[in-house]
Amino acid sequence: MNQMAIAALKNQYKSFVQSMFDEGVLDNQFSQLQDLQDSSNPNFVDEVITLFCNDAERIITEMNRYLNYQNVDFSKLDSHVHQLKGSSSSIGAHRLKLACVNLRQASYERNKEECVEAFNSIRHEYCLLRSKFQFLMQIERRIVALENNQQ
Amino acid sequence: MAPAADEAKSGNGGQIQRPFTFNEIVLRNRLTALVVDGDNFCRLLQQGILQAYGLQTQTVDNGDAAVELIASGAKFDLILIDMLLPILDGLEATRRIRAMGVNCKMLGVTAFSGERERQAFLAAGVDLFVEKPLGPEVLIPILRELDGQYPSI
Repeated sequence: MNQMAIAALKNQYKSFVQSMFDEGVLDNQFSQLQDLQDSSNPNFVDEVITLFCNDAERIITEMNRYLNYQNVDFSKLDSHVHQLKGSSSSIGAHRLKLACVNLRQASYERNKEECVEAFNSIRHEYCLLRSKFQFLMQIERRIVALENNQQ
Repeated sequence: MAPAADEAKSGNGGQIQRPFTFNEIVLRNRLTALVVDGDNFCRLLQQGILQAYGLQTQTVDNGDAAVELIASGAKFDLILIDMLLPILDGLEATRRIRAMGVNCKMLGVTAFSGERERQAFLAAGVDLFVEKPLGPEVLIPILRELDGQYPSI
């Protein structure tokens, strides 16, 4: 019974990840990171996701702060976007990375209105990504719990 | 043999072909690496990737700390260094490391993608300019070369 439940959950996990690839939310870099998870490193993906989300939320909070000033410090804003672009690329968060590219362009043009619009897009993409990551991690934890019960 | 082109296309449900995967290599020697990145996530991720291959990896979060570490006598087979770093940027840190006579493999791993940045980082002394993310198609041939398995392409 447990075996069937585990198999079903693993299929659900695999399908959900594929849907994230299909929607462009994730790219190949994420699957490369999944390959690094093995018995000697069983929580690698979970740890990477948690670390990424903590980092991203900190950066997004800072960007929001800079954009709320009447006179935006575009240079400081840009350095934060640059950082988020790098970490998004590194985890395979494709659409979030593209949203960062758009904000960098708006920041380079010193166009506050476009920066705000681009920032809202970043926030939207991040929230979407985070909720999908949370769902994935929930499935994974259920798999681990069932596998531990079997042993 | 040159790797086949990666046909992963996000957003259209295309098949993903992976000429290299991260877990495709076994190193014979104990290699050492230094990761220099001001971003917490990127630094720890790169460390995690290198450690998964068995590299003994240290990290620092700014260019000045990297220079001081190497000046203190620490030796590495591989250095991954970002361009935008606090205190001392990656370009100047790379110049100072090379000026100390350090000849190890240095990869400039950065979120910058422009030709101007590429030329500047190469001129500073990195062997290869890599736009993030650092993928296995770049890393594996280099690790094999460092491990003496065969020259990188």
